[in-house]
Amino acid sequence: MKKLIIGAAILGSSMSAGAVAPGGPGCGWGNLLFEGSSGLPAHLLATIVNGTSGNATFGMTSGTNGCDTSGTLTYSGQSLLAMNGVLEEVAQDMAVGHGEALTALTVAMEIEPADRAHFNTTMHDHFGQIFPREDVSAAEVMQRINTVMAGDARLSRYVS
Amino acid sequence: MMPRLLGAGCAAVVAGLLALVPVPGLATAPDLAALAATPRWQSLMHVNPGATLRGIGSSYVDDADFFLSDQGKRSAVAELRASVAALRAPGSAARCRFPARYRFLAEALGWQEAAPLAHCEDYLQWREQMPTGQLVLVFPAAYLNSPSSMFGHTLLRLDAKPNPDSVWLSKAINFGAQAGAADNSFFYIWRGLAGGYPGQFSVTAYAEKIRDYAFVENRDMWEYALNLDADEMDWVVRHLWELRGINFDYYFFDENCSYRLLELVKVGRPTAPLSQELRFAELPVNTVRALDDAGLVADRRYRPSKAREVAARAARLDPAARALAVALRDDPSVAATPAFENRPSEQRRRIAELAYRALRLEHREGARNPDVAADSLALLRIVQRNAAPPSAPVSAPPAPESGHDTQMASMGAGRQDGRDFLSLGYRLTYHDLFDPLPGFLPGAAIEGLNINLRFDEVDGASLETLDLINIRSLAPRDAFTQPISWFVHTGLEQAPVADSERALGGFIQGGPGASWRVGDLLPYVFGVARLESVSGVDPAMALGAGAEAGIVYQANVVQWGVHARWLKFTPHFSRLRTGAVVNVPVSRDNALRGECGRETWDSDAVNSCSVSFRHFFD
Repeated sequence: MKKLIIGAAILGSSMSAGAVAPGGPGCGWGNLLFEGSSGLPAHLLATIVNGTSGNATFGMTSGTNGCDTSGTLTYSGQSLLAMNGVLEEVAQDMAVGHGEALTALTVAMEIEPADRAHFNTTMHDHFGQIFPREDVSAAEVMQRINTVMAGDARLSRYVS
Repeated sequence: MMPRLLGAGCAAVVAGLLALVPVPGLATAPDLAALAATPRWQSLMHVNPGATLRGIGSSYVDDADFFLSDQGKRSAVAELRASVAALRAPGSAARCRFPARYRFLAEALGWQEAAPLAHCEDYLQWREQMPTGQLVLVFPAAYLNSPSSMFGHTLLRLDAKPNPDSVWLSKAINFGAQAGAADNSFFYIWRGLAGGYPGQFSVTAYAEKIRDYAFVENRDMWEYALNLDADEMDWVVRHLWELRGINFDYYFFDENCSYRLLELVKVGRPTAPLSQELRFAELPVNTVRALDDAGLVADRRYRPSKAREVAARAARLDPAARALAVALRDDPSVAATPAFENRPSEQRRRIAELAYRALRLEHREGARNPDVAADSLALLRIVQRNAAPPSAPVSAPPAPESGHDTQMASMGAGRQDGRDFLSLGYRLTYHDLFDPLPGFLPGAAIEGLNINLRFDEVDGASLETLDLINIRSLAPRDAFTQPISWFVHTGLEQAPVADSERALGGFIQGGPGASWRVGDLLPYVFGVARLESVSGVDPAMALGAGAEAGIVYQANVVQWGVHARWLKFTPHFSRLRTGAVVNVPVSRDNALRGECGRETWDSDAVNSCSVSFRHFFD
């Protein structure tokens, strides 16, 4: 339950619409690596009233991004990866070996601070395995991260 | 959640915890009028203390759902009375809508219950997800090539704790106008200015805001941690829940996002001197200053945009390495050439990372492109297989609040064609290319309502110029980005007419251009189109086209520039204006400026030179 709440706390709202993936339609799990960012606001207009269109979200959990939470994947890490643009940041951080997106992922996956550097190194070393193709999806990347973790003595305990 | 009552005899000992203990006088005969006048209740009601001109003494909230009393908007006492009636009973549904009000009344009137909000499932579930360790004000600075974004935006962030492990997991509190999808652009602007839009608070993932501002819009972000303690944070978060779905009319100039956020902070610390004085045209940078002056800012962090990352990383490489990065960006197979392979591992990493970042920057907008995606992954693989120690972080430029104030008054003297004059000027907002640079984006200028008057012995007083809007964006082009510079300028000015005379005319002009950076020099060129109407001149409208070229030098100790603009008008006359400006800051808010100009048309010419003292203020 605790894990679920932490995961819920990082749910976003502007998931790319229309992607169908594990987790259900409308969920960002189907986002591909290097997804474009469409729908930039018209700059001047958005600047003037700082406008948002549509309903104001209020950080509520249920159904915010339409993701079905019953999958076997780590809920919290998955939710972060499902957010627009995060997959790309994680890919960059894994290639480099460290970075804010990777840190966010470790925190979301409840990896203890003592194991985070090891997680980063392990992800860096297995970059090719985790990102085998440029059209890999968020759900697939999460699965591959779990696979790599399951095969690592220190990280396997975080994979249920 | 409410602590149990401490023994009555402890009251003196726990004076510091006064809020937790019923005050005997109030508990027996509550003076509701006095209670409603306390800063905390006034903050919870969003009563206008005279900070803006509309509805002084009334609540800013424009939503019947916020009030339990019919008179609630105008009377904080009536609302207090209605709240007492609605919230007193255990299990009251109104408590779940107004948990901050409940806390206020319970503490003031001595209501005691072990778990007064236990029945408020929605609230408690939401509250569980709200990090309450630290409140942070976030200011996305102006973005490149969009000087109007200096008017920008502010938001708040909720962190799980001070120095959180990852701010990507924090929450963003945003106040913005709710625009319907059916609204067209014209009404969007008009209603934004005139107050036709409902504004609401929203809570989203901060990671989305990082993406929107730092990654997509390329705005540097400044994050100011506030020193609210856990108790003050509790007030803020409780009250945030009370504002869910509640409308405030949105006014661009004063009742905007920045102002609303100040109000929210004030709920946490009602005694902070944040909104006492009249605030017209609340700008984000002034919100930062207000919080700083009130002693609320504990820490400042800088988050560079993607564009800034690319520029900073490019500047660290030698020219050959930069050229290699450009080649690699365009074709990752360049990594197999000796020019790349023969460099040491660390350099290969830096070059490949720059190439990758530049490619992503170039393609950040628009739909996913499979070829670009393939190249991007190829570059990341090169990054991954070439080891290097971590890169140094991008160093922060001067913070926005270190810049000069937003309004400006000037006084000067000059000479035009043998006649001396005195000048007086006032500018409502904000910054031109020659004003002191620290805290501002180089090459960006925006002026709104800029008035210059002249006085001389022959003509008396006359209006020299009145700029309604003057925006210039010099966005330098380099190997990594090729932005289009632009300017737009409209207002009134003295235009040359026949016989060496000048007459007041209205004009609008603008055009696209290009600029480059050579050290602190920004050379630029613009194409110019101009429509003008000068009083007493026939035809009533003249349309001109031409070009402008110039150089701007921006450094901390001095700013100067030279320019020439040539225009050919449809009724067969042309005009050439040349000029030079030099500006010397003497302190953050004071500067000396000298200007000379020559305007020639047909066979006539006007020459003028002036010096002025410019003072910035708020």
